[in-house]
Amino acid sequence: MNISDGKRRFPWWHEAVLGVLLIALLITAGIVNPGFLNLRGQLLLSRHLWEFALLALPMTLIILTGGIDLSVGSAMGMCAVAFGMCYSSTGSVALSCLVCLLVGVAGGGVNGWLISRMNVHPLIVTLATYAAFRGLGEGLSQGESYSQFGEDFSEVARGMWGGVPIPAYLFGLLALGCALFLSRTPGGRYVYAIGHNEQAVRFSGVNVGRVKLLLYASSGLMAGLTTIIYVSRFDTAKADAGTGFELDVITAVVVGGTSIYGGRGNIGGTVLGLLLIHETRQFVSRQWQVDELKSIVVGLLLIGSLLLYRGMQVRNRE
Amino acid sequence: MADPLIHVDRLCKSYVGVHALADVSLDIRAGEVHALCGENGAGKSTLIKILSGVTRSDAGTVQLEGKPLPAGDVHATEDRGVIALHQESTVFPDLDAVDNLFVGCELRKWRGLLLNRAEMRRQTLALLERLGENIDPTRPVGELPMAQRQMVAMARALARRCRLLIMDEPTASLSARETQVLLQLVRQFRSQGVSVLYVSHRLEEVFQVADRVTVLRDGHHVDTRDIIDVDHAELIRMMVGREAAELVGRHHSKSAIGETVLQVRGLTRSDSFHDISFELRAGEVVGLAGLVGAGRSEVARALFGIDHYDSGTVTAAGQRLPVGDVAAAMKHGLALVPEDRQHEGLVLPMPVSSNLSLSVLSSLTRCGLVSRSRERELVQQQISALSIKTAGMEVAAETLSGGNQQKIVVGKWLASRPRVLILDEPTRGVDVAAKAQLHRLIRQLASEGMATLMISSELPEILSVSDRILVMREGQLAGELEGATATAEQVLALALPEEREVSVSS
Amino acid sequence: MSSLTDIAIRVLRQREVGLLLLIIVVTAIVSTVDPGFLAVGNLKDILVRSAPTAIVACGVMLVVVTGEIDISVGSLMALLAALMGLLISRHEWQLSMWVGIPAVLLCGTLIGLLTGTLVTLGKVPSIIVTLGLLTALRGATTLLMRGENIDGLPEGLQSLAKSGIGGLPLSVWTAMGVLMFTGVIITHTALGRRLFALGSSAYAAKMTGLSETRLKLFAFAYTGFLTALATVVDVPRLPKIESGIGNGFELLVVTCVVVGGVAISGGRGRLVGVMLAVVLLTMVRPVLTFLDVGEAGEKWTKAIQGLFILLAVITDTVVSRRPTGSARGPVPVKPSSHLESEGAPA
Repeated sequence: MNISDGKRRFPWWHEAVLGVLLIALLITAGIVNPGFLNLRGQLLLSRHLWEFALLALPMTLIILTGGIDLSVGSAMGMCAVAFGMCYSSTGSVALSCLVCLLVGVAGGGVNGWLISRMNVHPLIVTLATYAAFRGLGEGLSQGESYSQFGEDFSEVARGMWGGVPIPAYLFGLLALGCALFLSRTPGGRYVYAIGHNEQAVRFSGVNVGRVKLLLYASSGLMAGLTTIIYVSRFDTAKADAGTGFELDVITAVVVGGTSIYGGRGNIGGTVLGLLLIHETRQFVSRQWQVDELKSIVVGLLLIGSLLLYRGMQVRNRE
Repeated sequence: MADPLIHVDRLCKSYVGVHALADVSLDIRAGEVHALCGENGAGKSTLIKILSGVTRSDAGTVQLEGKPLPAGDVHATEDRGVIALHQESTVFPDLDAVDNLFVGCELRKWRGLLLNRAEMRRQTLALLERLGENIDPTRPVGELPMAQRQMVAMARALARRCRLLIMDEPTASLSARETQVLLQLVRQFRSQGVSVLYVSHRLEEVFQVADRVTVLRDGHHVDTRDIIDVDHAELIRMMVGREAAELVGRHHSKSAIGETVLQVRGLTRSDSFHDISFELRAGEVVGLAGLVGAGRSEVARALFGIDHYDSGTVTAAGQRLPVGDVAAAMKHGLALVPEDRQHEGLVLPMPVSSNLSLSVLSSLTRCGLVSRSRERELVQQQISALSIKTAGMEVAAETLSGGNQQKIVVGKWLASRPRVLILDEPTRGVDVAAKAQLHRLIRQLASEGMATLMISSELPEILSVSDRILVMREGQLAGELEGATATAEQVLALALPEEREVSVSS
Repeated sequence: MSSLTDIAIRVLRQREVGLLLLIIVVTAIVSTVDPGFLAVGNLKDILVRSAPTAIVACGVMLVVVTGEIDISVGSLMALLAALMGLLISRHEWQLSMWVGIPAVLLCGTLIGLLTGTLVTLGKVPSIIVTLGLLTALRGATTLLMRGENIDGLPEGLQSLAKSGIGGLPLSVWTAMGVLMFTGVIITHTALGRRLFALGSSAYAAKMTGLSETRLKLFAFAYTGFLTALATVVDVPRLPKIESGIGNGFELLVVTCVVVGGVAISGGRGRLVGVMLAVVLLTMVRPVLTFLDVGEAGEKWTKAIQGLFILLAVITDTVVSRRPTGSARGPVPVKPSSHLESEGAPA
């Protein structure tokens, strides 16, 4: 007997809407300001993008399980201080990078442990560590900033290969990895299933706690990695690194169509969400030269996209 | 004849194109207990929701003493004296009894600005006393036992001027003794002139307490009869639409019973079960009977590693299983089809295929990636082996009927090729045809050498499928019976708490 | 030994007792190091510092009780402060106080209503709505102030806010009033009980005919109003209005509510606990000063705040894992649509 697939007719609604929006934005921007569409200019101005793009990858996975990580920006502050302190005492960039990554994993691990073993809601755990990580960074460094890590290290963030910034390659590689993980591995399947019904996954013999622990730890690891790029870009390590990143990251993921309740979404959507937000910000800041407008736009985009998706869902049902 | 209290006229309601109710008319007389029967999905819940003002009907009217009831307004409906106790417990677990009784219809003072707490407390105590319950009115209701919560919900109805009390499966989570108390209360209501619309799957209760009975099937009104004019078999026939003869027929095709595959010794968890010891042998079906709350599901969950236990051992295939480790239990050939299909068995929004492969996903990989062809193969095999009716393997599991959903859960576990299959209420909420199929499947698996532990609250099911029957009472094993010779009375005698007489028959 | 842990658990269950003990212990330690901690001036200072937090926490507590959350109050406070400055400062529009202040209060309430509408009718999760507003309102504030600080508020308002009536500034009196009012709402009105009922079980609330929309709208609007009130009575105390006002305030308020024992899943919590948490968390900074850790100590306040939340949630879990007496048994309760992942004891 052959059983038909019976797939839904068109499952890519979110991506299609996002794509149309993005193209519309680019066309408008191109008409208003023809210089905007210059690819080289775009790439040069994209450095900030790669940092929060990297953080958006584990965030997508976490939100898919129905969780959230509000602490990624603060974790960067803590990692930056660890990097700076390690460098000022040892003078070794490699060692500092290692310490930075380890601190990130430890921070994420604390989140994951509290969430999976103590059964505390991720919102509360990461709200607590949002304060705690930043506070640790501030307390340990006493507001001091560390800098001058050498020319070679600056190349990590500033260097270009074939006109494309090095972090972009890193992001591309990791995004592909994440997409493959989500769509083709058992782990990815568990991530979706946990988002829909954690209990059923537990009853299927999957160690749900371990999956969550690994996800939050990887979010911490990514915060460490992002910190290295961030520090390299500014050649400064300070406790205020990554302030407000969590909002940009969550916005990108949610705008990208990942359901905040878990279970629905994918990396492709997140990438589109990242681009949409980045281009909107670029456009707004070039057009009106007012920095504050950017945060208003991002905030409204976050709420607006959810309202839009909500409306689309209701319509689909009817 | 006097005018009816409630006159329901040609109600219609459909959800997403499916008729939940079609042209249902019904009269409820003052001071009668009117039972409402029907299989799952017959439209009982929808009718109740419309009567109590939770939802609106698409067409048709409901009249109370000749005047139409406001549609879709719980407050106004309750003000007119129509009060519903819904299926899932509708208490507020964090509030105390006083608040639970009066939320939504608070007694006030100072021109309605402030609550009259003293008076509400006084009335609460008086009402609870009338119900014969000794409940601390200051304790959060969520900390009370299930039966007492139900009493609080009843008291809530009493606190209002109640004309019609709607009770939706009020005894679903009560013990036999608590059920009798509740039925006594229903009679008390009737003697005070209150009408009761009593919805229950348990036909014994219907025969004990009802004056008239209405049967719904597939959203249609089948018939309304005086209870003395119908008997058990006829009622079932009305509900099912055909003779329910195939329900009870014992399978005594004894399969060859092999060596012991699961050994449980002195299993104890302080808050739910004590000193449980038994063995399961290859090729036998062991029924685990007992009242709801006797600790059967808890034992099953502990065996499978979902929950921890305090002491005792579980040995499968000669290996002792670690405590609270599902993966290890699976590795040693255990599988558990859980009680709560929707919350524990399935990921409803995900495709049928993902659900069927979820428990064995890591064995379907090639270089760490899920092999689509191997997954497809497995899924197709399970779908045809269990004759699961689905529009395709990529449709969401939630679109399937209850019986087919249950088959997915069973199939998902058979895919892991277990040697010990634990089934917790495998046929709850499943229609008659699927039920018979599942029973056949269980016997067939046994004949192929599977050791099965089947928990069920339905005595006919336990009696017809099991080779051996274990009975649990209040967290302990009360006894063991031979499947071929056991009677319902014997099982009940073991299952019921000792101090009370057996008055429930099946 | 086991009886000792039992006692400890019973004490920890009563969040208020634990908080009070902690406050007493900390006070005792600090005042032995420096008796000046107990001086009237310092105690008054703690009171004044805690006033705005206490006012806003009354609102956020009700929001959390209904099962939602509001993390936008800090930015809202900044926006309202800027608005107040623009309206009534003598360097700006110079409106009368009696027009300007009601306008600010109205504006706060309206933004609260807007939040509530997005959550209830727009069905956007409150964490997302308020996270979005957190940035959007902050951006709007800077835009409104055009990068400059505002001073020149009316003298009368400033002196009321600073020295006040009967030796206590206006904010402290307001906080007391709000506290009593909220207390009455919670225990003595149908509205209050319904808010708790809704948070306790949304399903039962629906079946009882409670309007989820109206109740949540009230909670958010009340929070908006109280934020405006806190702005009006507390901000004039400052020499000038800066755009950075209320930075991190939302976190402080949510911390107080959680540490004060309000269940994040809704339905449970007491005002007394929240107020004790407000006092405890406000004490952190003065305590660090008095312990003479100086500037260095200041930098640790955020870490300590985070630590308090963690401590609160960890005690919650540890305590609820060891049921004493006949607490929640193995009664199968269907999981409702709550936030909290209160799984079975693993």
